[in-house]
Amino acid sequence: MSTPLLTTQELGLRIENRTLLKGLTLSLNSGTFVAITGSSGSGKTTLLRTLAGELEPAEGKVVNHLDCTTGLAMIFQDLQLADGATALTNVLGGSLGRHSFLSTLFRFPSEEREKALHLLAKFGLSGKSNQWTSTLSRGERQRVAACRTLLTRPQLLLADEPVSSLDPALADEVLTHLSNSISGKNGCLVCALHNDEQVTKFADLVLRLDPSDPNGWKLEDLKPKEVE
Amino acid sequence: MKPELPWHSRFDLLGITFLLFLIGAFGSLPSIEGSGRDLDYWGNLSRFSSQFFPPDWSILDRTLEGLLETVQIALVSTLLSIVISIVLSICAARTIAPLWLLWPTRMILNVIRTIPSLLWALLAVVIVGSNPLAGVIALTFYSVGYLAKFFSETFEAADTDAQQALRSLGATPLQAFQFGLWPNARPIIWSHCLWMLEYNVRSASIIGYVGAGGIGLHLKLYAESADSWNKFSLVLLCILVIVTVLDFTGEKIRQNIRNKLEGKKSN
Repeated sequence: MSTPLLTTQELGLRIENRTLLKGLTLSLNSGTFVAITGSSGSGKTTLLRTLAGELEPAEGKVVNHLDCTTGLAMIFQDLQLADGATALTNVLGGSLGRHSFLSTLFRFPSEEREKALHLLAKFGLSGKSNQWTSTLSRGERQRVAACRTLLTRPQLLLADEPVSSLDPALADEVLTHLSNSISGKNGCLVCALHNDEQVTKFADLVLRLDPSDPNGWKLEDLKPKEVE
Repeated sequence: MKPELPWHSRFDLLGITFLLFLIGAFGSLPSIEGSGRDLDYWGNLSRFSSQFFPPDWSILDRTLEGLLETVQIALVSTLLSIVISIVLSICAARTIAPLWLLWPTRMILNVIRTIPSLLWALLAVVIVGSNPLAGVIALTFYSVGYLAKFFSETFEAADTDAQQALRSLGATPLQAFQFGLWPNARPIIWSHCLWMLEYNVRSASIIGYVGAGGIGLHLKLYAESADSWNKFSLVLLCILVIVTVLDFTGEKIRQNIRNKLEGKKSN
C-alpha cells in the first residue's frame, strides 16, 4: 500500500505579486512518478522549490512525512555544480550528508567512490569522471547533477527539468534510471517535464499548470488501477 | 529632432577619474626639475651603459648559486604566505566571515601592505640576522598582505550556487565550502599564487641589498665597486632569464586554467 511522503493542503504560490497557483491539495505517495507540466512561467520551479522547503507557500501548507531531512533531494534546473571540480567530485558531493568533515577532508570513503563511479557509468559518463565539469556539455552536466542527487539516496526526488538538454533516446534512458532508482526504494519521483511523450510514457500522475489561471491546474491519473 | 543631452552627462566615473588623473599628472610637471647643471645626458648614459658590456661570464657559477638561493627564498616564502593567506582571506571575505572578524582582518592586511618589502627585510635582518631566513620572513609578510586580499576577493566573486546546493543535500557548512566554493575559487587562487611566486623571485633579488640573502647581495657588492658593472650586468641577465622563464610558464598555466574554466577542453 502506498504511503504519502509529502502532502500539500490548499497550497497557494505567489511570486512578485503574481499568483501562480491556488488551492492545490496533493499527496505525493511512495511508488509513484508525478510529472508537472506547463509552459514557461507557469510556476513549475516555484512549486518544486516550495515542496523542497526552500520557499514558503503564500497560502496553505506543505506537510513532510519523511523520516529524516535527507530523504528529500532536488535536481536543480540550473544544475548548481562546482565548475572547477571533476565530475566524480561533484557526484561525491551527494554523499556528504552521511560523513563528517574529517572523514571527507582528504579523500572520500572508497565505497562512496565506487558508488559514484557506478552511477556515472550508468548515466554514460564513465569516461568523463575525471574531467572538470566546466569542460562538459550541458547534457553531460545535467547527468552529473542527477548522479549527485541520486547519491544522497533520496526517498522523494524532486527534479526540475532534468532531461531538457538531452536527445529523446538519452532522455528516456535517464528518466528510466531515475525512476528505477527511486521506485527501488519505494520512493516518489516528482519531475518537471516539457515533453508530452515522456509524460505519457513514465508518469503515473500528471499535474498540469495553467500560466493564465492560478485555479486552472489539473491533476490526471494516467495509470488508473485496475478494478479487481 | 533628438534632444540635446546636458554637457555634463558625458562624464561618468571613468571620465571624471581619468580627467583628475591628467590634471594631477600635468600639474606635477613643474615640480619635476633637473639638477640645473649643464650635463651631457646622452654622453653620460652611453659611457655608463658601455661599462655593462660585455657581461663577465667568469662569475657565472657564483651567480647561479646566488640565484638558486633567491629562488629558494621565493619558493619557501610563497608557500608560507599561501597557507597564511588562505586562513586570513576566509576571515576577510564578506561572503564568508562575520563583520566582527572581517574588519579587523582587513585592517591588519592594510597595515601589512603599507610596509614595503625592503622595510620588511630590514626588520627581519634586525631580528634574525643577515641570512636567507630573514628574506623568507620578509617576503612571507609582504606577500600575505597581497595574497590574502586577492584570495578574499576571489572567494567573494566565486559562484556560490554549488555551495548552496550541497548544503541543501545535507553537507555541513565546512564541507559545502570545501566541495562547493573552493573548487570554483581554486583555479583563480592558484593563478594568483603563480603571479606571487614570479613577483617574489624579483623581490628576493633586491632584498639581499639589506642583507636578507639571495642574489641582491651580489648586486650590492658589484654596484659598490666602481669597475664591476660588467659583473653587475651578468647578474641582471641571469635574473632576466629566470623571471622570463617564470613569466612564460605562469602565463601558459594561467591560460590553461582560463580555458578550462571557460569550458574549453584542456590540451
